Amino acid sequence: MNYVERDATRSLAEALPRSRGRVTDIAARGEPYTWALGGALALGIVMIVGFLILVLYNGATTFIPKPIAVMTLADGAVVAGEPFRSESYRPGTAVLEKLAPETRARIAANDGYASRTLYRIGNYDIYNEDFRWVSDFEVARILYPADLIYAERLEWGPFIGRLKSVHVGGAAREAASIPEAELVRLHGEARARWQRLRGIERSEIGAVNHQIERERLAVRKAEIAHGAGSAEARQRAAEAATRIAGLQKEYDGLATEARRLREEDRAVRVTLAAIGGEEKELPLSALVRFYPANAISLTGKAGIYLSRWWEFLSDEPREANTEGGVMPAIFGTFAMTLLLVIAVTPFGVITALYLREYARQGRLVSVIRISVNNLAGVPSIVYGVFGLGFFAYVLGGSIDQLFYPERLPNPTFGTGGLLWASLTLALLTVPVVIVATEEALAAVPRSMREGSLACGASKWQTIRNIVLPRAMPGIMTGIILAMARGAGEVAPLMLVGVVKLAPELPVDGFFPFVHLERSFMHLGFHIFDVGFQSRNSEAGKPMVFVTTVLLVGLIFLMNISAIAIRNRLKRKFAGSQF
Amino acid sequence: MDRLADWTIRIGGIGVILAVFGIMAFLAEVVVPLFTGGEVLSRIERTKDAIRGRVLVDKLDEYRTLSVALTDDGRVTAFHVASGRAIEARDLDLGGGTITSFAHLPVNGLIALGFADGSVRFGRLGVEVKVIASTDVPATLSDLGGGDSTDGRAVYTRLPGEQVRRLAVLAQLDAPQSIAAGKAIVGLDYRAGGTVERPSRAFVTVDSDGVIRLSNATSRVNLLTRQVQTQVATTTLPELPPGTKVSRVLMTEKADQIYVAGEDGQIFRFDTRDFAKPMLAEQLDLAPGEQRLTLLDFLNGEQSIVVGTSAGAVDIYFRLQREGARSSDGYTMVRARSLEPHGAPVMGFAPSIRTKSFLTADAAGNIWFRHATSEQTILKLDPPAPGLRYEAVVLAPRDDGILAIGDNGRYYNWRISVPHPETTLHSIFGKVWYEGYAEPSYTWQSSSGTDTFEPKFSLVPLIFGTIKATLYCMLFAVPIALAAAIFTSEFVNRQVRAVVKPTMEMMASLPSVVLGFIAALILAPIVENWIASVILAFAAIPLGLFLGAYLWQMLPERLALRFGGLPKFALMFLAVGLAGYLAWWLGGAFERLAFAGDFKAWANGTVGSDAPFLALLLLPLSFIAVSIGFGRAFGLAWRDLLRALAPMQAGMADFARWALLLALAILLALALAWTMTGAGLGPRGTLVDTYVQRNTLVVGFAMGFAVIPIIYTIAEDALNAVPEHLRAASLACGATPWQTAISIILPTAMSGVFAAIMIGMGRAVGETMIVVMAAGNTPVMEWNIFSGLRALSANIAVELPEAVKDDTLYRMLFLAALTLFAMTFVINTLAELIRQRFRKRAMQL
Repeated sequence: MNYVERDATRSLAEALPRSRGRVTDIAARGEPYTWALGGALALGIVMIVGFLILVLYNGATTFIPKPIAVMTLADGAVVAGEPFRSESYRPGTAVLEKLAPETRARIAANDGYASRTLYRIGNYDIYNEDFRWVSDFEVARILYPADLIYAERLEWGPFIGRLKSVHVGGAAREAASIPEAELVRLHGEARARWQRLRGIERSEIGAVNHQIERERLAVRKAEIAHGAGSAEARQRAAEAATRIAGLQKEYDGLATEARRLREEDRAVRVTLAAIGGEEKELPLSALVRFYPANAISLTGKAGIYLSRWWEFLSDEPREANTEGGVMPAIFGTFAMTLLLVIAVTPFGVITALYLREYARQGRLVSVIRISVNNLAGVPSIVYGVFGLGFFAYVLGGSIDQLFYPERLPNPTFGTGGLLWASLTLALLTVPVVIVATEEALAAVPRSMREGSLACGASKWQTIRNIVLPRAMPGIMTGIILAMARGAGEVAPLMLVGVVKLAPELPVDGFFPFVHLERSFMHLGFHIFDVGFQSRNSEAGKPMVFVTTVLLVGLIFLMNISAIAIRNRLKRKFAGSQF
Repeated sequence: MDRLADWTIRIGGIGVILAVFGIMAFLAEVVVPLFTGGEVLSRIERTKDAIRGRVLVDKLDEYRTLSVALTDDGRVTAFHVASGRAIEARDLDLGGGTITSFAHLPVNGLIALGFADGSVRFGRLGVEVKVIASTDVPATLSDLGGGDSTDGRAVYTRLPGEQVRRLAVLAQLDAPQSIAAGKAIVGLDYRAGGTVERPSRAFVTVDSDGVIRLSNATSRVNLLTRQVQTQVATTTLPELPPGTKVSRVLMTEKADQIYVAGEDGQIFRFDTRDFAKPMLAEQLDLAPGEQRLTLLDFLNGEQSIVVGTSAGAVDIYFRLQREGARSSDGYTMVRARSLEPHGAPVMGFAPSIRTKSFLTADAAGNIWFRHATSEQTILKLDPPAPGLRYEAVVLAPRDDGILAIGDNGRYYNWRISVPHPETTLHSIFGKVWYEGYAEPSYTWQSSSGTDTFEPKFSLVPLIFGTIKATLYCMLFAVPIALAAAIFTSEFVNRQVRAVVKPTMEMMASLPSVVLGFIAALILAPIVENWIASVILAFAAIPLGLFLGAYLWQMLPERLALRFGGLPKFALMFLAVGLAGYLAWWLGGAFERLAFAGDFKAWANGTVGSDAPFLALLLLPLSFIAVSIGFGRAFGLAWRDLLRALAPMQAGMADFARWALLLALAILLALALAWTMTGAGLGPRGTLVDTYVQRNTLVVGFAMGFAVIPIIYTIAEDALNAVPEHLRAASLACGATPWQTAISIILPTAMSGVFAAIMIGMGRAVGETMIVVMAAGNTPVMEWNIFSGLRALSANIAVELPEAVKDDTLYRMLFLAALTLFAMTFVINTLAELIRQRFRKRAMQL
């Protein structure tokens, strides 16, 4: 009898009722304890489901256009805003003292709680705040006027007020006198012009600047290679000078075109009036979109909802990331995950193959297993520290010395970047792939290996043609799980290359097209940045929720596809069991 | 092909494993320099032919190229350090006066001279550094070696990129100001302040009669004519005891404290905050017995005073506010640090102008490089020649060189490297008495805006933060995760399990940045608003579940069997939900009852009593105690009674028993709480204190989200791996599922369950984003659940992006990472060993 069985019988003897009599009594069923266990599970499920609903609900409703309430407060002030959320709170004594006795009595009856609503009042340039709490007891009257518009602007956040007049061709026209279709057309034209202007400023002028910079670097390189003042360097400098002169001409042409467009753009202006009468004049193109919030139809609402989603997915962020889109972050997350897979797969699979197929099973292998499991438990931030110190500073620093001396002291690879971030996360996720692959390899029946070897196949042939294909589902699962883990990590990325706003994507039209050294944006970091480092965390909250939905969705999609692939491939091999 | 694959796989496999250990080795390699002290890179000695007379002060530029010495005859001599060649010598125009005292400020090169006729003169001495284009360099230069050359007035150093650094003497002296008519000035100290238009100077003088004067000179510069008008106000300090021979005068930056030292070691501290009425604040003997005071000077930042004696002692004093201080202003001088003593009288001193490092030299010719915070002596430079004494020792502005002028006609120049003088094992893990602190403490404060700041690198508060977060998180997560795992493994059928388990596992893949965001921006304000309800919920949910269970027991057996599956589970959800709702609903009433209507004020300790909350904490214990008491007294009889009754009646009886016991337990808990509160034992001040919005409760909850699924999955796997035949045998013997689960399955799977907890703990220790976002990041050391914390991981994430490579902070953060690595390594290895043992045991079954 071994230890465990002895143990088990002892516990059993203790557990059984000591007194004789009928069947078990009610206490033996342990009903209360069972309920405590079940309750814990229920609590866990409530937590996760509640969490998901919270995130999903907030994420999905963020872009729905809401009506604008115009409140006349008890003190006569008029506030217009989009209701954001409501809560109950405890007004301070100073506030309570000023209230009418019946209001005070009502609050006192409610344990001192009163309810209030947070309104997005917009017009940050006028009010110096985006949001305002309005307590229910303050409000004298609420109206929803049909002529109020909600305008999203390129700068200063949204504007809530009225469209007063439009200036086209040097003449101002009352907004009310312009048919809606014409307004839409004017706005469309203005936006198209603005897009064109941005295109010139960003990509075309950017390309010229890029070429000029390249010429300058080439001269510097020649100087380093042959010595400053040498014949080669001077020749290279002369070549560069002629080319830069040509580029300069090109630049001037583009700049003239841009100036012309900007003047055209400034000619079409719009005057907006806030609820208190303060007016703001700005180019029509500075309005991203605007709509009469209280008079918009259901289809109109749907259109705005979709257009906001489209902007979110396809555009760049503006207003310190709290508005606009997250396209660069999506791209960065995607690129990083892809590189991560490319890096992690060979290492993970080869290690697992070594552990399972090549190494002699013994003390060494069990030590290695412990260390692999340990690696899985090392905090991600430690990998980040390692990535920064080793990849970026040591490896990247050496690369810079060898290949990019002309750019020093500005680091090229010697600082955080896409490549180093991917490698850091690859290191972090390698245990996931190793463990999954090992399990998959272990599940391949020994008989199949033996059969293959008996037929005269070599070890590698057996592994390649028999073992690996059978283990594929497990390996794929491991890789996808590694992707999911990698896509959700933020802490190490903060150290090795994620930035709040990357001016350039890691892939563009300039040779060598893929720029692994560039810093990049990431959805997870975007959440952290917008939620915690922006001017107003309240203004960023909707954006954070939508980004969260996107990130969580992405990760769940990966997890689910891991399960689906595993199941499909399992079925594929299910029939061929020996 | 085959062989190639063989080798690739072998090399790749072993390579990855090496990489694992490479991480640890790399982290360690970055950390090691923190503890290696410093080294002398080179030493040169040259004859000091150029310098005549006794050296009052010597200045060195930050590139250690040119040195400027002022001698007591008023002569300024500049010499090239590496070659010893004189560059320029000029006599300051002293107007025939004899220098009788001297003061200088290392930080900005200001000097003050006191003369035999009772006048003082201020000025500036140093090296002027300019970077010029190579075309502006004079044509005829004589080479000095090492890329330096001179035209006889300045030293030129070639720099990369067609640039040249020009170093020249900067020496100027203002007009004399008469202070003590006819009496020689024997002691002098001086500080400058004010603005460019209205510069001001404060200086303290001691004349040969022992009269101490504090003067305040304000100059007004006329911006048009550039004329300077100076007004001097002078006040006389209280007299010293007769016979005191003043050896040193010191004044603080704001001229609000003046220290006068007698040769016998008596220190007189004057409080001059009120310029018109200076007073003697304190008098104490810093060199007791036969010792003489040989050194009294400020460290960089003027918060610490270094005191050296003829016996070789080197101590550091702080001026601290103390209860019952024997001084007239409530402050007193406290000896905070005692440094390693010299074997001979302390003679020379040179503070660093950037850090808390300094040099001390003794009469035997030893020069020691020390650091005040870490109290360590990093370098000990032996006397280069026997019997040598130094006229002046200088620490280079970047702490990378030492220049010592001997009395033997030679000077010595060491090039040193002391990258991390402020860190020792003690300064990182022990209590350190920092400047301005009332007592030794563990503090982490790595940076501040000024050069005079003393960095505080104690990892202890960060490790404490990590442990605190982990502990509170585990308190929340372990019960839920384990209970849920046992329930999933033993009490639900296959279909439910197939839904429930992936749902819980889904929680594991939630990115922690999302959890942190929700915790900090959504949960924290809600918890703050409804704190009473949240606390109540901790009691209400278990009670609700127990109540549900006892009600369920009263169901007729037929119904209970029929709805024993999913409907019962659904009822459990309902119980949790109802209890939660009840807690929310009763929150206000509970707050009035237990926390005097205002939780935050209660937590601060201003209102209410500890007793109700303490009773709530004690309730589980008292309930267990009451139950055990009941079991001892009536256990068997009660069971016999239950068996005799019909199932429904038994259920009711059991419910009645539970209700009674609960009432008793509540009474017991209240009674205990009252007694304990009466005895002065209460949770406030320790476990509960001032409430901040981002607190450990919120962090624990959010980290629970991250940790629960891990513990749950691994524990559930372990429970599930217990062989079916054990379960079957137990049930066949008549044990109920509950008895089987708790007495057979759980003990068998114990090591697996334990490993699950350990792995969960490993995750909690290293969790970063949640603590960064939701913990407030204040490095405080208190167990208060309602205060924030700063964990190792969060600290790294916050500070490393700003740290300069190879800086002390950079290496400290690597040490933090290594600590974290070590903590998780121990936890995970333990877990893995337990798991392997468990696997072996499971195989045997």
